[in-house]
Amino acid sequence: MKIKYIQHTKDVSQYSELSLLKRSDKTDVVFVGYGLFILSMVLISYLLGVLGWLPFTADDMDMDLMMALPGTGSHILGTDFLGRDMLTRLILGIQAYFLPGLLAIVVALGLGTFMGVLSGYRGGYAETVITYINNVTDSLPRLVLILLVVAAFKPDIYIIMFVVGLTNAPAVASLVKDKITFLKQKNFLEASVALGLSTRTIIFKHILWYNCRTLLIIQATLGMAEAILIETSLSYLGFGVQEPTPSWGNMIQAGANYMMRGDFWPSTAPALAILLTVLGFHLLGDGLNNILEGKRRK
Amino acid sequence: MSTNPLIKIEDLHTFFYSKAKQAFIRAVDGISMEVPRGKTLGIVGESGSGKSITMMSVLGLISAGPGVIRGKVIYDNGRIKKNLLQGLDDFVDLQEHDGTIMQVDKDLYGWQQHSEQLMKNIRGNEISIIFQNPKAAFNPFTVIGEQIAEMVLLHTRINDPVAAKAKALYWLERVKMDAPEVRYYNYPGALSGGMAQRAMVAMALASEPALLIADEPTTGLDATIQAKVLQLLAEIKADLGITIMIISHDIGVISSLSDYVAVMYGGTVLEYGSAKDVLSTAYEKKHPYAKALLASIPGLENIEKNGARLKAIKGEVLDTIRVVEGCKFASRCDCMTDSVKHKCNTQQPPLEDIGGGHKIRCWLYQ
Repeated sequence: MKIKYIQHTKDVSQYSELSLLKRSDKTDVVFVGYGLFILSMVLISYLLGVLGWLPFTADDMDMDLMMALPGTGSHILGTDFLGRDMLTRLILGIQAYFLPGLLAIVVALGLGTFMGVLSGYRGGYAETVITYINNVTDSLPRLVLILLVVAAFKPDIYIIMFVVGLTNAPAVASLVKDKITFLKQKNFLEASVALGLSTRTIIFKHILWYNCRTLLIIQATLGMAEAILIETSLSYLGFGVQEPTPSWGNMIQAGANYMMRGDFWPSTAPALAILLTVLGFHLLGDGLNNILEGKRRK
Repeated sequence: MSTNPLIKIEDLHTFFYSKAKQAFIRAVDGISMEVPRGKTLGIVGESGSGKSITMMSVLGLISAGPGVIRGKVIYDNGRIKKNLLQGLDDFVDLQEHDGTIMQVDKDLYGWQQHSEQLMKNIRGNEISIIFQNPKAAFNPFTVIGEQIAEMVLLHTRINDPVAAKAKALYWLERVKMDAPEVRYYNYPGALSGGMAQRAMVAMALASEPALLIADEPTTGLDATIQAKVLQLLAEIKADLGITIMIISHDIGVISSLSDYVAVMYGGTVLEYGSAKDVLSTAYEKKHPYAKALLASIPGLENIEKNGARLKAIKGEVLDTIRVVEGCKFASRCDCMTDSVKHKCNTQQPPLEDIGGGHKIRCWLYQ
């Protein structure tokens, strides 16, 4: 790699810091750019679904054009095994993830942050109890837990995502706690107390806002990706979003039955959508982590 | 204007419980000292003699479970007069037997709540502090200027963020930071040790306190920067009339700033008096520990006196877990004469005034 340094001859007071975008690695900028693109696609799809601006309706069956490939007739992304428009169903599929995914994120971040601050800042019994809770949830297979809940209630995506949020909370809690432990080693928390800041200011402003915000943003992006993957797994087992409501998971599952016949498209299209979206969220998290925390790629 | 001292510490005790050794550590064991308004008190002593714990007790920062504080810390700035340890005793049930602590029952939660209540308008507002490691004392993820401005908003009458920023810039300028407008937007990690210490001083002063406690303000700085920071503190003291408590193991640092000096050892004050009395090598009446400390400074004078070798104080710093019957310094003392030897080993000497406010805790001068 070629590195170019330029010696400026200005007085020190005339320097301004480079913007965040300029001083970050190009790779990270590309990652975040792609992630933001995916995020905006998800948002647009959700809004299109809500407003009903769709090329076809979800249950519109075109009996002459079943399992058509992309570009057949007016179906841009082809049709599935019942001749329903793929693009419409893919757009509507987002509905299954967007609000439930947000619920999972809110639960995971809210509960996780609360537990992390309690165990990291207060310590003592709270820390011991929360550590044990974390250990227990870590040792339970998550899918089994979700299936148990589904069996006990009903296969509702909101209930599932609530459980996903609950099981994610310990991971967030331990991240927040580690951060606080790290900050405690530097004595700035002690200094803040000595200089008269209130506990609320210290926790909300100095710990959560200044020191944990990137961590929480990253956890949120990963949480969305996780929500999509969990729903896919459950749909494959038949416990996810139920037909005829489209979700990417049950589209794959339904399409997979026809794969052996050589009609791969009905399950490949949602699979590709999942791949690109999950990848987008992961790269967004990764890139944001590097850019906001000022890390360098080797 | 009253002539009361700004802060007066009376018979301060701070104990910790060591679970591993099943014993109480008497980190601070009966300290009395006072800081007159506008003057500087230097506290000097080896590591582990209780200097920092004294400071933390004054600020109510002792929160470790079994930490116990007794005594009085009277803060009086003319407007506010209160004992910073008022009523803390009520939360602690202490059982003593022959000067040894047998058992302590403490209502930790109530104690902390009460301590917070007592300190509410004191910390930051009235008493500010400069820490040993200035870089670690800043929030690493935000720029220093904002942290200083936050102090201004919190502790002064200024409520407008723009005015607070201007004030923060003023303080950065005041502590002679080069290019304050640039440094305002620097993260703590981007500053050198000396600059970080200046920023720390600016942050401590931003709340316009009456008392500034400097805990080892020059540790980790090289000699020239050390001199500059000390000069800065001296200028601030002269300009603002602020009262300073400076804690250091370095007699050089103490002597350049202090009006009064307290020499601490093993959690007690062994010598207290004006800087002239305590630190001048010419003055004969002196505690053996202070004498030994002065003799161990590297310097031309001591080289002439002792030859090329530096004179170290033999032995180790007193283990404050052990309860000493006699003088705390007896085991390391060079000056013990036969006439007082028995007393030194069996009885703790009182802190006696030997004239002009110069107090020494030694049987030699009783």
